[in-house]
Amino acid sequence: MRIASHPVIEDYVKGKPVRFFFDGEEAEGCEGEPVAAALKALGVKIHRYTVNRHEPRGVFCAIGRCTDCVMTVDGMPNVRTCVTPLAGGMRVETQDGLAPLKARRVE
Amino acid sequence: MKRYEMIVIGAGPAGLSAACVAAEAGMDVVVFDENQRPGGQLFKQIHKFFGSREHQAGIRGVKIGENLLESAKNAGVKVVLGATVLGIYKNKELAVRFGGAVHNYKADAVVIAAGASENMMTFDGWTKPGVMGAGAAQTLMNLHGVRPGKRVLTVGSGNVGLVVSFQLLQAGCDVVAIIDAAPRIGGYGVHAAKLARMGIPFHTSHTIVKALGGDFVDGAVIAETDEAFAPKPGTEKNLDVDTICIAVGLSPMSRLADNAGCDIVYDGAKGGYVPLLSDEGETSLSGIFCAGDVCGIEEASSAMIQGKIAAAAAARDLGYLSGEDFIQKTGEYKDSLKKIRSGMFGPESKGRADIARTDEGYPLSRSLLQRGFIADDEVTGFPSIAHGGGTRAVIECTQNIPCDPCQDICPQGCIEVGENITSLPALTGNKECIGCGLCVGVCSGQAIFLINDDFEAGYGTVGLPYEFLPLPEKGAVGRALDRSGKEICDAVVVETVNSKAMGKTPMLVMKVPTASLAGARFFRADADGARKGG
Repeated sequence: MRIASHPVIEDYVKGKPVRFFFDGEEAEGCEGEPVAAALKALGVKIHRYTVNRHEPRGVFCAIGRCTDCVMTVDGMPNVRTCVTPLAGGMRVETQDGLAPLKARRVE
Repeated sequence: MKRYEMIVIGAGPAGLSAACVAAEAGMDVVVFDENQRPGGQLFKQIHKFFGSREHQAGIRGVKIGENLLESAKNAGVKVVLGATVLGIYKNKELAVRFGGAVHNYKADAVVIAAGASENMMTFDGWTKPGVMGAGAAQTLMNLHGVRPGKRVLTVGSGNVGLVVSFQLLQAGCDVVAIIDAAPRIGGYGVHAAKLARMGIPFHTSHTIVKALGGDFVDGAVIAETDEAFAPKPGTEKNLDVDTICIAVGLSPMSRLADNAGCDIVYDGAKGGYVPLLSDEGETSLSGIFCAGDVCGIEEASSAMIQGKIAAAAAARDLGYLSGEDFIQKTGEYKDSLKKIRSGMFGPESKGRADIARTDEGYPLSRSLLQRGFIADDEVTGFPSIAHGGGTRAVIECTQNIPCDPCQDICPQGCIEVGENITSLPALTGNKECIGCGLCVGVCSGQAIFLINDDFEAGYGTVGLPYEFLPLPEKGAVGRALDRSGKEICDAVVVETVNSKAMGKTPMLVMKVPTASLAGARFFRADADGARKGG
């Protein structure tokens, strides 16, 4: 899902490749890119399930306004992944209501 | 409490332009922006801008963003990123959160340049992962280099929907359809035509009924709309998509101005609740100005000018600019703003559906408005679409949009727009086209084609803008597509022009039978065409 070559954009501003953990599994992304971009590149669609109706949510506005894409990051719930830079070793978890959804991975 | 002479909220085109003018006038100015990078939405705008030379027309938004950051740096503007302005209080005191704490500031002048947010529409399944704002798709692909999905439905045919759809294609996604509840395409005809000639279908008078799928989108149901824009039962169609991009307009983010106590009015043409402003951009509260989309939805080009006017007014009020200098400076800015706001898509004509003719009196193409391409029987008659005789530019620019770089770039002076930049371009006729293709590259609407009738017996060539990868090589074979995206004949690439002057809009020159010269407007390489050519 990453764009390898583009007719207009010569190169994207990207940090070095880093390993992080998505729902307990090791994954790779680029340092400094939004967590949501790294997940999108991996094909992850669901970021969380809502509190009351348990409905899935993913990336919606991608600029930190709508809070649809919040996840549990390093144990902290409700982190806006579209505006949170990825760091090596980060633990990103699908959120279920306000708690992490344990080790469920949806491609 | 730290004091600044000017505090600017938002480091987008309006805010940075304001800060530059203030800093150049000698004011102590700071810009706060909640994002991690400055530039607002400019760095996602990878297309060439419209306007005139003074508006940096023909230059991509991302480059305009770089220029703006450079100017801000040279002017000594201080930008604090990751900083959210929480509120503007009495006597222009501001609370700003960054670095995990709230900091208080006092300003002599404030410029609110908070921009806009995307509108949303609700339908069955609209919350499913895979439904997103068109701006979100643009952010993911143009800023972060990640495709938002594989197969996309775009809802909304304003300029945002059209531009983002084209950029989705450039990023390697499929655009399955573009729909609009209105009976006509909302954005520039030239933007629609770029998509139509690649075979992207437009469904006007259509709305989205439902996003299909379980935990995420795996299809969409669209239906025709009635006069009240409601879906007509029995007209539903299923589309195979995994992503739905919503491009149904923007709303000014005027909440900070509202919270500060500025008078706010609802103005549908401007996109929602907007502050009441003087013609210098000052709100009802002395010393608090607004600039850019927060005042009403327009283009980045006008936002930059609005920022300059507001800052100049603040500089005058605080004694940094004489009344004379102010009048001289803002006179230029206001002229420039008037130019970019003119034409049938300008703020004053926004939403009008009754315009049937151009300013020059040519009938507007109905097919362009409804299907995204000019029908064959509508093509003739325009001043820049001539037939017969040697090499010439054919400019399929048939609506009054503010743009004139084609006139400036032609080394031979073949193209004339005139003083009024919304006039349709015309071929002067008395100058010889040398076939350089610069006009093809500079046209922000990608509406210029270079036709040569005399290539060889029975064949001519069509030069067309081709902003896609891979760029077919000389000798590549394929099919020529007409304005509607239909294959009409075989075509062979005889040349590609991709010099620096083309600004990453290469011109692909294809050979087609003479009879197809008037209709062939795009090239699709055969699956093995590039190899044959290579």
